[in-house]
Amino acid sequence: MPRVTLETLPDYARYLITAAEEAATHYPGTRTVRLPRLELTAHVAPGVLADALGHAFVEAEDDLAEPSTCRIFTVHPGIGGIPEPARWGDAHFTEYGFAERLAGAGLRGHYFHDLDFWQVYDPERRIGVQLMTSPDAFPPWEPTAPLRAFLHWEYAARGMRLTHAGTLGANGKGVLLAGAGGAGKSGTVAAGLLNGLDSVGDDYVLIDLAGGVTARPLFSTLKQDPQGFARLGLKQRLRIQSPLNWQGKHTFHIADIAPRPVPAALDIVALVVPHIGGGDMSSIVPVSRRDAMIALAPSGIMQMPGERESGFRFFGDLTRQLPSYRLSLGTHPEEIAGTLADFLTRVVS
Amino acid sequence: MMRDCEVYAVANRDIVFESFDGEAVVLNLANGKYFGFSDSGSRVWQALSSGVDARALIGLTAGGSTLGAAELEHFISQLLELGLLVPSEAAARPLPGELPAELAGTSEPLTVSTHDDLADLIIVDPIHEVEEPLGWPAVKQPS
Repeated sequence: MPRVTLETLPDYARYLITAAEEAATHYPGTRTVRLPRLELTAHVAPGVLADALGHAFVEAEDDLAEPSTCRIFTVHPGIGGIPEPARWGDAHFTEYGFAERLAGAGLRGHYFHDLDFWQVYDPERRIGVQLMTSPDAFPPWEPTAPLRAFLHWEYAARGMRLTHAGTLGANGKGVLLAGAGGAGKSGTVAAGLLNGLDSVGDDYVLIDLAGGVTARPLFSTLKQDPQGFARLGLKQRLRIQSPLNWQGKHTFHIADIAPRPVPAALDIVALVVPHIGGGDMSSIVPVSRRDAMIALAPSGIMQMPGERESGFRFFGDLTRQLPSYRLSLGTHPEEIAGTLADFLTRVVS
Repeated sequence: MMRDCEVYAVANRDIVFESFDGEAVVLNLANGKYFGFSDSGSRVWQALSSGVDARALIGLTAGGSTLGAAELEHFISQLLELGLLVPSEAAARPLPGELPAELAGTSEPLTVSTHDDLADLIIVDPIHEVEEPLGWPAVKQPS
């Protein structure tokens, strides 16, 4: 089995793209997804990934902008002409060094050692390859936000950014909820949706800074741990039979609990950092931009392969454009949603 | 003990920083560690990282008291240890005219805090020391 080093990495990435393109007639299925400013066509075999492409996205059906197109081949050696994935053979691997080496060659990429799972992307030609040892040999987080690395690279090349944050809004205006895992983002988003607010996403949303801060939906998936799921009354409401995901959480979709269809965009008017307050009632107080940046940027940069410096600059610009607040979460979903709704009215007026 | 001239530079191109209302946030792109500074620390970081002689800061009012050599030295040693600054042989830049007033307006002592709460992300950002030529998953054992 060949081994790839930093030296040979760009050649290997180009080799994979060429091999995938030459095997184009052998692919068993194709799915096209309409996203903001982008039409993504994925060549994918029937199975979990193909299903995820069918239900994990919020499609931008009303986006009037002429979309660019990108093409992703999700491939494995069972398809004629597709090689076995190579292994990493360098003595020292860092995600950062890997990404830098590819960026120097005009490419993007990610390698997940445990599965010999490769993702490479040519942003100039908008063609990517996801190479797996078999059709289902992908990391467990992939079905929740499928092909997110490719979307990250494609949108970053256009000055936009997949951002690890939740959103809540009303009447087209909204807040961005930032913080590391466990800060209370997902519970807050679910509480808001259950009590009449809108959301364009809970985990990753697309942020554009052109003409103000705009958040657009990409993924429809929501997640809740069993305790939060029960506290929010979702156990009775949704009666989900499927097993917990790889993080031990229930997964469901915005449309399952949203009061209205997902809006095409929210104009973001504030950056809000939630934390578990411990009191009965929620409160919102100003917080320094430094603290808001530290809540927003680390996970958004480190969960995505490559584009670290551009991400840091992007999140810096975003933080400067918005007033920042800390949200101490109370214990009642209805009260949390009411506090945020009142806050939105106040900030907008 | 301080040298005759104490000039520093940002350690390498992986150290990037942004300033928000006078408060600095620094990121080491290579390992994903973030650093947040107090208000006085932010001003001193901005001065040191732009090549101002550290000795020019001694005796200025910062964080409600006079900035002493020992306090500054301790702060600089932290920045060196964290890999954010390195000593430089470059000529010192002059103290920016507005800096003494900005420092005098600060209320917190010189501090830098490390934000390294990314352990749950390691699964998607593996940094592996592996045994050559076996490659991953043969992890290099300490000799």
